Amino acid sequence: MKAVENGGTAIGIRCKDGVVLAVEKIITSKLLKPGANKKIATVDRHVGIVSAGLVPDGRHFVSRARDEASSWRGIYKGPIPISALANRLGSYVQAFTLYSSVRPFGVTAIVGGWDLEDELAVDGQVGSGPKMGSGGKVEGAKSGGPGLYMIEPSGLYWGYYGAATGKGRQAAKAELEKLDLSSGNLSIFDGVKEAARIIYIAHEDSKDKDFELEMSWISSLDGPTKGKHEEVPRELLKEAEDAARRELEGEEEEEGPREDVNESEQMEE
Amino acid sequence: MTDSCLKQLAARRIFQVEYAQEAVKQGSVVVGLVNKTHAVLVGLKRNAEELSSYQKKVIEIDSHMGIAIAGLASDARVLSNYMKQQSLGSRMTYGRPIPPDRIVSQIADRAQLNTQQYGKRPYGVGLLVAGVDEAGPHLFEFQPSGLTHEMLACAIGARSQMARTYLERNMDKFLNCSRDELITHGLRALKETLSQDKELTIDNTSVGIVGLAGEGAKGKFESFKLYEGQDTVPLLEAVEQSESGGNAGESMEVDS
Amino acid sequence: MNHLPEIWGRPRNDIYGSYNPSYLKTSGPITHTSSPTVTGTSVVAVKFNGGVAIAADKLASYGSLARFTDVKRLRVFANSSVVGFGGDVSDMQYIDRLLESIDIREHYSTHGNMLNAKNLLTYLSKVFYKRRSQFNPLWNHVLVAGFDGNGAPFLSSADLLGNTFSAPHMATGFGAHLAVPILRRLFPEERPIEDITKDNAVAALQECMKVLFYRDARSLDEYSIAVITKDGVEVKEDEKVQAQSWAFAEAIRGYGAQTA
Repeated sequence: MKAVENGGTAIGIRCKDGVVLAVEKIITSKLLKPGANKKIATVDRHVGIVSAGLVPDGRHFVSRARDEASSWRGIYKGPIPISALANRLGSYVQAFTLYSSVRPFGVTAIVGGWDLEDELAVDGQVGSGPKMGSGGKVEGAKSGGPGLYMIEPSGLYWGYYGAATGKGRQAAKAELEKLDLSSGNLSIFDGVKEAARIIYIAHEDSKDKDFELEMSWISSLDGPTKGKHEEVPRELLKEAEDAARRELEGEEEEEGPREDVNESEQMEE
Repeated sequence: MTDSCLKQLAARRIFQVEYAQEAVKQGSVVVGLVNKTHAVLVGLKRNAEELSSYQKKVIEIDSHMGIAIAGLASDARVLSNYMKQQSLGSRMTYGRPIPPDRIVSQIADRAQLNTQQYGKRPYGVGLLVAGVDEAGPHLFEFQPSGLTHEMLACAIGARSQMARTYLERNMDKFLNCSRDELITHGLRALKETLSQDKELTIDNTSVGIVGLAGEGAKGKFESFKLYEGQDTVPLLEAVEQSESGGNAGESMEVDS
Repeated sequence: MNHLPEIWGRPRNDIYGSYNPSYLKTSGPITHTSSPTVTGTSVVAVKFNGGVAIAADKLASYGSLARFTDVKRLRVFANSSVVGFGGDVSDMQYIDRLLESIDIREHYSTHGNMLNAKNLLTYLSKVFYKRRSQFNPLWNHVLVAGFDGNGAPFLSSADLLGNTFSAPHMATGFGAHLAVPILRRLFPEERPIEDITKDNAVAALQECMKVLFYRDARSLDEYSIAVITKDGVEVKEDEKVQAQSWAFAEAIRGYGAQTA
């Protein structure tokens, strides 16, 4: 199917102090404007979505996510928890498998965000509330944290420490598993580096095509993005990409003499 | 149900989209390109018969934006009317020309719904949207599938591959060229698509341009200008000149 | 003994006359939307060289009762504009939510192209006008401070009817009567905005807030002040009227020693 862009690996990493989203954008034409055509979407201040599959379906998915996030704000006067958003999107996607009048979504989407750990002013709040008496908050109590979910075309979704979808997901998954994410030690800055590296590794299979790496992140309130979903700053992105490239080149040199053997093996497969 | 099974289901419904894309390929060619200051649309108009009028190819949406169409003109009219309404709405409520990327995503979202619901059909038209905002000129390609891309240059419609080849070859030349040279490059790309017996004439050529205003001009943007009929004479002459002035393409920098 | 329970406890007709049902009319026009309930008072703002300064006190009054004393009436939009609200506080909260949802929508695309103060004013005036045309007005008078499309300092007001008005220095509510004369004295028409420094502007606002606290009975000596420059918005929420002197009060008839 030429109609749809099916390529591109997308990953999400849940770090101790935030979430990193990354996607490999295959450059299908020289005429595309470099750096434009963003594939990671902002859903609400604190949520981002990246998807693999049919691109227009991905946009539909994002548009629904935005509606859900804003209707949540309309009712609860605060940001939607990532788990609730994933749940609602899962239900929405599942509904498209039920009826003959619609077709299912052709995307697998990764939803990443940060549930605020602090009491932020609700929309439109004017005062700071009672300074004493009952109804106060327990001192020092913490809630919130990173959230990462992946929603499949069936509507099935799970929470993830590290999620991968798209063409190079197998390679990406293998790398994610090596990171020991469940222990919760990886910082968001390291997460950015790892995400870049993993996308570069996942790209190895389609090496003949050029690609752009797009990355975004959501950190804790005391982190670099202050709880907001933002693009990873250009300098940091470049740094991570350079490191990823260096590492790949290093590996190739080590395996240099064996390369010919590998190639012939591949031919046999 | 497995994911792959569902994705197949998704794909089967999208065959309709491929028919729509066929309609775009049947339409006469339009070319769009940008440099640092301007975005240009050029189109080849067709007439149904010798004595009939020519079909519109380039349409102004607002003073900062225009579109070029390839495919079903009636579907294009639906989309362009929608875009005109949205632009006016933005000017009315915010006093701001709508940023081109927003309006493009709006029509893309509409087009996507047409591919997912029973009883609806995709738009049978492809668009090139040229517009300008705070960041400068922009060019978008819109396809019936709801796919949109921001491009530096693009061509859609019958035999558009030839134009795309020209654009790819000359990209580094027109990215930094002047306003008039950008139009010339657009027309030359358009010319590449013509069959042997065809010529660019004042009757079958449409040119639209929009961009940032030069130094000392009133306002930030140079309003969308459509050249048709007699107005295209100097533009076509410039193409002639650029071609006779040297080996194809090489003379651009020396000219004017 | 009356055996009809619905009559029990009611004033007897033979003593009080029959009840006048017009007191309990359920039909007729809705009137509660046509007056504000909890209100904020003046907002004052001044343009200066390279930006705008704006101030409003922290009081929300319920009639003449000083009901809430920690209300933030300056709202920052996109770290580039400030809206100062006078009038109904719940309507302010509603508008603030509108602005919040617009801000989130604006950030969907990473393109830049954010709404500036001028766009914001246009939008707010359309909202006000629409609501007043529905006879359900949002009971506010706002000042919008920031920059226009050409990067010049921008200051304008919109009121509950959808009127807009612009000037180099402005004030809403009581401030329109009490603060504007002060500002006109400090910054006469012939004095170009380029001459006014940020410190001039802030000092002028401090002076205005003091006079307003002296003479506006629905005001407070605690206020917020925001300075908008190209670098962003700097808001201070805990300002206090300094160097008060109530000596003048003695001269006010009916206030001090004078009783007649």
